[in-house]
Amino acid sequence: MKKKFELVSNSEVLSPLRQELRQLLGLGGWEKKSAEEILLAVDEVLTNIIRHAYGGKPGKMVILFEDSPEKTEIVLEDHGKKFDPTQLPPPELPCHKPGGLGVHFIRTLMDRVVYDESFKEGNRLHLIKFKSKMLKGERPL
Amino acid sequence: MKIQMTCQGDLCILELGGELDYHSSPELREKLNSLVTKQTPKILVNLKGVEYMDSSGIATFVEAFQKTKRYQGRLILVALTDTVRGVFEIAKLDSIFEIAPTMDEALGRMAAKV
Repeated sequence: MKKKFELVSNSEVLSPLRQELRQLLGLGGWEKKSAEEILLAVDEVLTNIIRHAYGGKPGKMVILFEDSPEKTEIVLEDHGKKFDPTQLPPPELPCHKPGGLGVHFIRTLMDRVVYDESFKEGNRLHLIKFKSKMLKGERPL
Repeated sequence: MKIQMTCQGDLCILELGGELDYHSSPELREKLNSLVTKQTPKILVNLKGVEYMDSSGIATFVEAFQKTKRYQGRLILVALTDTVRGVFEIAKLDSIFEIAPTMDEALGRMAAKV
């Protein structure tokens, strides 16, 4: 199952996209807890694109959702300022200052986070979660 | 996001509902800022109706928590859903914030000044 979303970088798009992805993750067999973790990771990437890659200005965001029996992979692309979140050092926790947790959430919640350095026009980030690691005993979404 | 605020004496209660993300957190930040600017001694935030929260939501609470501490105020987060509690746990902030399971308990704690 594949689906592509093309959105303008604006915080208003976050909630409707979550609703669509929540449905797709349910169809992919993800239980609620893992599905919400994937949604949160995607949300944090998009928030970083809106805030930092485009600096609050309108820009194009592409979200490619791909589900297979083994894994779900979500690829997020933008054409804004380059930033590789995988190179950011882990924060000291608990963090007593507001902010700086988004990348920590992305790395904690996904099994693999890959920054595609070959994508020259901006940023392309792959978020992957394997179904073999899905918590047992929990009901599908 | 729905935000309902009621104040009586030195206590203000915020009842939240919906999703707390980068889009909706500025509205909550504004409400909390209005309370901490007035140095409201006791603030309860009921999160029972919040089904989703991201790091923007966490940042909003961290900011309010730090500001209340500066004037010896008190902020208690109440009735966290599993999803929201999970977000606090990933940030390892569940032990930093004062969290109460119910409004009754939170009000009891505020009254007892524990």
